[in-house]
Amino acid sequence: MNMVLLGNLSLAAAFAASLLAMMLLLTGLMRNDLRCIESGRRFLAGVAVFTSMAALALSRLFMTDAFQVEYVASYSDRALPLFYKATSFWAGQKGSLLFWAWVLSLYIALVTWNTRRETRQKNTPYIYLVLAAILGFFLLLLNTVSSPFTLLSFTPPDGQGLNPMLQNPGMIFHPPTLFLGYIGFTIPFAYAVAAMISGRLDPGWLRKTRRWNILSWIFLTIGIILGGQWAYVELGWGGFWAWDPVENASFIPWLVSTAFIHTAIIQERRNIMRVWNMALIVLTFLTCIFGTYLVRSGVLQSVHDFGATGLGGFFLVFLLVTGIGSTILIAESYSQLRTRHSLESLLSRESTFLFNNVILLAIAFSTLFGTVFPLISEMVTGRKLTVGEPFFNQVNTPLFLLLLLLTGLCPLIGWRRASADNLKKNFLFPATLAIAGAMVLFGTGVREFYPLAAFSLALFVSATILGEFAAGARARKRLTGENLLVALPRVLWKLRRRYGGYVVHFGMVLMVIGITGATAFKQEKEATLQRGEAMTIGDYRLRYTDFRSFQDRNRTVYAATLDVTRQGRPAGRMTTERRYYINAEQPTTEVSLRISAREDLYLTMPTIGSNNEITIRAAINPLLVWGWVGGGLMVLGGIMAIIPSRRRRPTP
Amino acid sequence: MKKRAKKTILALLLILGGVGFLILKGISDTGVYYRTVAEILSDNDLPQQRGVRVSGNVMPGSIEYDQQNLLLRFMVRDMKEADKTLRVSYRGVRPDAFREEAEVILEGRFDRTNRTFRAETLLAKCPSKYESEVAKR
Repeated sequence: MNMVLLGNLSLAAAFAASLLAMMLLLTGLMRNDLRCIESGRRFLAGVAVFTSMAALALSRLFMTDAFQVEYVASYSDRALPLFYKATSFWAGQKGSLLFWAWVLSLYIALVTWNTRRETRQKNTPYIYLVLAAILGFFLLLLNTVSSPFTLLSFTPPDGQGLNPMLQNPGMIFHPPTLFLGYIGFTIPFAYAVAAMISGRLDPGWLRKTRRWNILSWIFLTIGIILGGQWAYVELGWGGFWAWDPVENASFIPWLVSTAFIHTAIIQERRNIMRVWNMALIVLTFLTCIFGTYLVRSGVLQSVHDFGATGLGGFFLVFLLVTGIGSTILIAESYSQLRTRHSLESLLSRESTFLFNNVILLAIAFSTLFGTVFPLISEMVTGRKLTVGEPFFNQVNTPLFLLLLLLTGLCPLIGWRRASADNLKKNFLFPATLAIAGAMVLFGTGVREFYPLAAFSLALFVSATILGEFAAGARARKRLTGENLLVALPRVLWKLRRRYGGYVVHFGMVLMVIGITGATAFKQEKEATLQRGEAMTIGDYRLRYTDFRSFQDRNRTVYAATLDVTRQGRPAGRMTTERRYYINAEQPTTEVSLRISAREDLYLTMPTIGSNNEITIRAAINPLLVWGWVGGGLMVLGGIMAIIPSRRRRPTP
Repeated sequence: MKKRAKKTILALLLILGGVGFLILKGISDTGVYYRTVAEILSDNDLPQQRGVRVSGNVMPGSIEYDQQNLLLRFMVRDMKEADKTLRVSYRGVRPDAFREEAEVILEGRFDRTNRTFRAETLLAKCPSKYESEVAKR
């Protein structure tokens, strides 16, 4: 069958189904007709069938090199390996949008299945309605201004190929995981809005969407880490994060959702901060959409820019409508949402959560502010003043350290109100350790304030987490008489929701260590070497020994080999490459990495001269590997926190 | 208002004030002005103490690159006024996308005595392929 036709028809059918679902749901709500709502639910679930067909059609077109399709011609070519052909699906804007709609429809289908026995409840139809409207928006774009199935007026002999920088496994999974996160927050947002419209403001919506929140947060985290990893191993500038607008666009929702996940715990436990949580979930969703808008609209210059595409206007309208609508809803339900009893003491666990929130939001705000600052300054003063990496580092570093401090303080301070005695007892060990650590570091020559503070706070937080683990194991030992070594894993598993959180925190500590090491103690050097010459950086000596070139599939490769010695002892051989892809104007550099627990040695070869003299850019990134380990732990802890406890039969 | 609520609010205000201060200070410390090549040449009270960002096109035939010493010299042309040109020197590796007519974004200081722009960062944008390119062909 003609895949273009199938794709177009499926998209049209999907849009029609979402419209129909909306109409049925509205009718059902107005007439209070459960049958109408039920068929609305089914049409809504059915959208997933059509979007899946459209997605299938697009991947089929990529697989069969159907270059008469503009999107395929733009992002694929005959020589591209099959794996990358399949994943070129989301290399551009139109395919990404289809991916969005597809995943959203699958998520929605899951929600409609999980709630199939709850259609009688007052808020359920509204959840469907909100979801149908959001899905409808994306399908509208796909059917009008951004169809991936648009044909060219001719069939080019070959496609333009996939940007070689995107031909990397990290890059393949970076965008879709970010999207999975962005899209996931649609579900809690819909629950929140439905709760406000229907007036069912009990924390039920929070409990039901807890897994969605954390799962989406996990995906965002993975996406951000993969992005950093990709930048590090593929872009070859030696760093992993540049505060690029699009990176910020993924970081802002991460910060806001992290804040939300924390205060959601407070609302579940104490039923306070209800207005705050409503505002946060709305903000999370809006920043997700805003992130997509930033990437797609071309208002800001960025390495990820897809060029101006005319989609910006649509997103802006959507953003405004959602933002204003949600604000009105929160204002209307404010009197029911607000709680009489609030925080009981400044020195309580609740208030550390509040301060953690304020700081997370402050980081989000300063990041957002710095990202859009050039636009603002031009509008206000007529002069384009811009800020970059130094701004974000300068503003956010102290805030992050404060956040780290709170991460350590939180478990030490009891709920409601902490007594001085309790504080003294809990503080003694971590504080002593942190101070001792700082003194040792100072003695070994770390004299700058920020790294010193970061490392000693890292110790402080680790100690408090360790304390929590030990306390848990001891308590279980008392209860069951088990050996501590048996009790620890069991208590971790039993209370995995809580300990998962601590694992995430510990991951963050490791990440702070890695980032501090690789930014505060980074060494960089560039040099041009003739064959046989050597350069030194840190403890390393790099001698250029060999050069060769060869043809490999869709590229020509030039490779230089260097013999490495560390403190005079041989430490292996490193090969760094430059690759010229047949379909790309620019060569790419292939990073050579020597990773150890202590430091990464990072080599690239930005230039090759006419006599094979090579320019080598070398960098030493101390402790960076711990950052990646920490990222992995954060994800692991998140997963731990959402593993369901024993399966319960849903009550009919 | 209760005393403890007051204390909490005071603490929050303190944080917000601190954040505001950090942001303002961040801008004044690290903010960089955008200037066109023409503006740099004519503007006599250009801020000297802080960096300037300027973009333009690399002039054909002007590129000199000393690979051994990693020194790159070239001329950029104003993106609108083609007769306004600026001499640039940059110490570092020549980027891949850097070539004649490429658009470059430079950050650095203008040395008025030598009439040379000393770039600390150099970003070259190759006219990368956009979706519209296929359509135009």
